[in-house]
Amino acid sequence: MKRFLFAGYAAILIALTFFSYLFVDANFMYFSSPLKGFDGQHRSLIAGTYFLLISIFFGIYIFLIKNYNLIFPNLSKLKKIIMLLLIPVFAYPAMFSYDLFNYIATSKVLFYYHENPYLVMPIDFIGEPTLMFTRAANKLALYGIFWTFISGIPYLLSLGNYLVSIFMFKLFAGLFYLGLVFLMWKLTKNKLSVVLFAANPLVIIETFISGHNDVVMMFFALLAIYFLRNKRIFLAVIFLILSVFIKYATLFLVPLFLLTILQYAKNKKIDWSRFYLLAFFSMFAIFILSFLREEIYPWYTIWPLTFLVLIPQKRKLIYLYIGLTFGLMLSYIPYMYFGTYSDPTPFIKILFMLFPPACVFLYQVIKVNKKSIL
Amino acid sequence: MIRVSKVFLFVFILFVLINNQIFAQSVYVLPYPSQMPGNKFYTVNRVIEKVSYFWYFGSFGKSNYYQRLSDKYLVQAKTLFEYKQYLLAYEALLLSNQYFEKIYPYLLSAKKEGKDISEKRKILRQEGLKHIEELDKLKKSTPENFLWIPEETESSDLKIRSLINTSKNIRKKYL
Repeated sequence: MKRFLFAGYAAILIALTFFSYLFVDANFMYFSSPLKGFDGQHRSLIAGTYFLLISIFFGIYIFLIKNYNLIFPNLSKLKKIIMLLLIPVFAYPAMFSYDLFNYIATSKVLFYYHENPYLVMPIDFIGEPTLMFTRAANKLALYGIFWTFISGIPYLLSLGNYLVSIFMFKLFAGLFYLGLVFLMWKLTKNKLSVVLFAANPLVIIETFISGHNDVVMMFFALLAIYFLRNKRIFLAVIFLILSVFIKYATLFLVPLFLLTILQYAKNKKIDWSRFYLLAFFSMFAIFILSFLREEIYPWYTIWPLTFLVLIPQKRKLIYLYIGLTFGLMLSYIPYMYFGTYSDPTPFIKILFMLFPPACVFLYQVIKVNKKSIL
Repeated sequence: MIRVSKVFLFVFILFVLINNQIFAQSVYVLPYPSQMPGNKFYTVNRVIEKVSYFWYFGSFGKSNYYQRLSDKYLVQAKTLFEYKQYLLAYEALLLSNQYFEKIYPYLLSAKKEGKDISEKRKILRQEGLKHIEELDKLKKSTPENFLWIPEETESSDLKIRSLINTSKNIRKKYL
């Protein structure tokens, strides 16, 4: 069964990697693909295939969670599954979001053109070939200064080769994903916590296919918590600041940090499960508030999830949240099908997003009612 | 018939002149006036300005920096001239000139670095036109010379008209 599961997991990652190449931008000139424009021509086929792939992926994930003790008797088995994540590193990154191209463009402004990306936009460089397919090129750097600075590592390692830089940025995010998973293990010594996060399809797709930097921000936030737990306040504060200067969202953890430091000062015992729950709600608040700024992006769910998996005893909340991650992955379907961000896409997106968690909630309510009747 | 032709010619010339005036106006937008000398935050503002020199790195960055400052001090000079604070206005205009002259060399170094400066060059031209437009307005509302006599320090003979002409010439060089 384990081998079958391993093969199934590899197969779904390979299928998603191939599937991503159906979304190659028509202006992406770094490789010629006969499938360019396929996503626009076969919308229902694309949407249906994606629904199938993502449902199977979540199915495997739920199976892994339910049987994690059987499948992963020790951590080395889990490492094998994690090794498989090198497959989607080779996927085309802009299947759902063009953010990775934007990271590279910002890095190029700083490390190639030697200009300040907070003052000069990529679009200012007339004739820059990547402008053909980079979106939001008319915006100044969106992320924190620490992210802009460390994004120089994958950029410079790619030695100016654009395709290599795509893989480098993904590998870079992958390293922080590994670091984050390691910290989760260090903090909980619970395999379920690790499996809940590491095997989540949303986390895998958004990190290894889209190459989002959310895991980088959360790695530094969790590292700060690790040091806070070990009463190394100075390091905790430093790493929290670094985390904030990646994507700003972890600013919402500052009150919780201050409260904990205050409790330390009063020699009070800290309930870490309560801390993680409050951290989850803090990050969930900013996740919900992101709707006011632009819209709720699926990869933002990584922020609260990082803390939720640290309290695996909160089963109901975890399943509800997994339902939300599934819903958010499904919310890509309306755009795939209609090919537009305008009506009716936004409304159907919300329906897709809320349907799975609503189903989980109803199932939980029915289950509780059945138990109380019996 | 001749009379009708004369009227027609007059209307035509008037139309061309008015139209020319419209075309002479630059689309470039100057910033709002910032803190003026004497304001308690003015010194802080100047310090931020000096520190931000390092933030505006790169050839495009530096050209933006000087462009921003040149605009800022031109607006400051304009406001101070309106309030008849001639010495401060005179100094602000001198600063605006200094900064304006520093823009183009940075665009040239950007060009040497292989950056396409055509859009930036257009913006500089528009900026120059806008400055000239404002300087022309100032010329009409300011005295040719002004002897500024402060209470304690030495008096200064401000050659306002000459400075405005020099300022215009500096801008014209980059049109």
